[in-house]
Amino acid sequence: MAEPGTMSWRNPWVRGSVGALVALTVAAMLVGFLWLPSAQADFSAQGLWASICRAAGVPASWAPAADAARDARPVSTEVVLERSMAREGDGEAIGRGATLALNCTMCHGAQGMSGSEAPNLAGQYPEVVIKQMLDYKSGKRASPIMEQVGKALSERAIADLAAYYAYLPKARTAPTTYDETLPALVRVGDPLRNIAPCISCHGGVDQKFGTPWLEGMPRGYLVAQLEAFASGARRNDSQAQMRNMARAMTPAEIQEVAGFYARKASAGERRH
Amino acid sequence: MFLARKLVLAHFWVAFAAFFGAILLGAWQMFIRSPLSTWINNPEHYYRSVTAHGTVMAYVLPTLVAMGFGYAISELALKRPLIGLRWAWAGFGLVVGGTVLASGAMAAGKASVLYTFYPPMIGSPLYYLGVVLVVVGSWVWVALMSINLRAWRKENPGATVPLAMYGNLAGAYLWAWTSVGAAVEVLVLILPASLGLTDTINAGLARVLFSWTLHAIVYFWLMPAYIAFYTLFPRAIGGRLYSDTMGRVAFALFLVFSMPIGIHHLFADPQVGAGFKFVHAAMTAMVSVPTLLTVFTIVASAEIAGRLRGGRGTFGWIRALPWDRPMMLAVTFSFLMLGLGGAGGIINMSYQLNETVHNTQWVTGHFHLIFGGAIVIMYFMIAYELWPQLARSAPLPAAWIRLQLWLWFVGMLVLSLPWHWVGLLGQPRRMAYFDYRHPALEPQAWTVTMSTFGGLVLVASALLFVFILARAHRRPAEPAPLTFGVAAHPALRPPFALNGFALWVAMMIGLTVVNYGYPIVQLALIKEASVPVIPIGSR
Repeated sequence: MAEPGTMSWRNPWVRGSVGALVALTVAAMLVGFLWLPSAQADFSAQGLWASICRAAGVPASWAPAADAARDARPVSTEVVLERSMAREGDGEAIGRGATLALNCTMCHGAQGMSGSEAPNLAGQYPEVVIKQMLDYKSGKRASPIMEQVGKALSERAIADLAAYYAYLPKARTAPTTYDETLPALVRVGDPLRNIAPCISCHGGVDQKFGTPWLEGMPRGYLVAQLEAFASGARRNDSQAQMRNMARAMTPAEIQEVAGFYARKASAGERRH
Repeated sequence: MFLARKLVLAHFWVAFAAFFGAILLGAWQMFIRSPLSTWINNPEHYYRSVTAHGTVMAYVLPTLVAMGFGYAISELALKRPLIGLRWAWAGFGLVVGGTVLASGAMAAGKASVLYTFYPPMIGSPLYYLGVVLVVVGSWVWVALMSINLRAWRKENPGATVPLAMYGNLAGAYLWAWTSVGAAVEVLVLILPASLGLTDTINAGLARVLFSWTLHAIVYFWLMPAYIAFYTLFPRAIGGRLYSDTMGRVAFALFLVFSMPIGIHHLFADPQVGAGFKFVHAAMTAMVSVPTLLTVFTIVASAEIAGRLRGGRGTFGWIRALPWDRPMMLAVTFSFLMLGLGGAGGIINMSYQLNETVHNTQWVTGHFHLIFGGAIVIMYFMIAYELWPQLARSAPLPAAWIRLQLWLWFVGMLVLSLPWHWVGLLGQPRRMAYFDYRHPALEPQAWTVTMSTFGGLVLVASALLFVFILARAHRRPAEPAPLTFGVAAHPALRPPFALNGFALWVAMMIGLTVVNYGYPIVQLALIKEASVPVIPIGSR
């Protein structure tokens, strides 16, 4: 056999294989980076180099510099949810929060369990309280009372309040087995109306970050919020996720779902 | 045979026990989303099951089969005891330990992220650690295969490496390199997020790194099947391998081309440039070359057997083939499924055609047909061929094996062809339920029912498979030694380059750097690419 028994460049197998691979790669790159982009107006509009950059995944600029239409778009919330908001507060923060919370007892109850139609706060996830309070503070969520309360509170005070309420035991409804006795929208949603199951975010299947604990909430509050989302009166859900769910729901479904989450509040939390 | 008998047996039994559990989950998934059942009340259970099914079928089963078969080949083909038996047991321990760890996390619902991980979803660190242990265990195998070949070469300087061992090492080197992508993804990006050290993750980069592993892993799954085509099939049907060199070319081409092409899984991902997508699509097309070479060579080998058995004429040799032998049947089924699935694969890898099937049930149909069909049916044959040696048993009953293979073939077609069809109609994959009351979906409901029945047939086949293997342990006998197929021209020496791996491994790494280097570096440098993690099952 004429072939030398080494992996040197003199070996025709090495020359042939590497040469063929390089040729194939170069040909594929020429097609992928030059020829195909040339057929696309948005790729080739800014010249050859810009077109190669775009094909490599790096447009010269990621977005047109001044986009007046985008800047004018309404912003639903200015709060960016960060995982740090979910960290448990230390004893000091909880203590400060407990003191501040004395202001809240009139509506939200002495231990965060509301006796009115105001939402329970006991056991609420801290990032939920922080997000909502910051939205009240900036006016992204409307409430004559809560906006004023929010404006008076510093971010530190809000975080302390959230730590305190998260520390209190949650309101719980009776344990649920996921069977057909639950309303369909709660369990499985309605895929063809683009309604996701409540339990895929609000606990049950999964508890998504920034999504409130709903079990045991006053029915009137839940109905009012779903109606506000449906009408667009409330729009501080950053991805319009709740507006989209609520808009597709019928009034009867709103009542049914709210009734499910409000039902069977455990002893001691609804003092009537 | 053989020092490694118990080792190989342990690998195979764990693999097939896990396989049987996972196939029950698969059948349940099909049933629960079909019109035969009401909607699943807790969709998370569905995704938990999908995660477990995928993790076992994609990581545990093929890794253990490749490892066990590899150890067996090392002893049977090199005709020398395995070096590093203790290390091999340690590697096996890592794989089993990892499987247990990951299974615990999955069963507890702490890791329903699907086996492809999908950051920014983040599950329990135990799940990822389990998968990492499985991979590290398999790296022990890679090292041992390399060491054993080196020792053999030292004893037999200049000799031709047996084809089975050549394919075995090609699979091992391919796996060593291709597992690096997911390993980096898990160790550098996912685990820090899962352990709570960071709140954000570069999801785009993670997906690109996973694609590094995601496609070539398929060829790692496929290597044992191809080794069986080339080295077990010709002998089993009483013929000869048409060309030993062609087998080596196919294995070498798989090394070079199966690895740096994974971005064809990311055609819909905006973070990767269109130019790289095209280059990867073009390279993916090249993978059909070693497959077509193999189909040609194996069919030619069958023709040799047919003519040796008195077959005449253009097609007369086909009738003369030993159709009553399970291997004949299995390879035929495998090729039929490989042909259908391969044609579908060419659609998937085409940058434009992919748009029509991306993330539809078509894709599920495709990889079940190729992997669950063409490849796993050869895993069965590998087990059947080795079993008399492993269990020191009498030959396995051919009639039962034929029935098992028929059930698998029919079941897989009934399962996956409706998926292909309904995928073309637009049915998305990974759905826990469909609303069949809707007038647009109602006409498609029968396809899901049909797939359910396909799944049930597959369960029956898997049960029979496990039964045949278990029964053999009760029928002890001294087995005839296992031999590999002989080439039609056994005296021919392959070219030097095809007796080693240096050139092909160098080309594989070089092409990876060219095809992946820029996208990875570019994405790693974009600070804004990090997105908040979404913990699964944490509350």
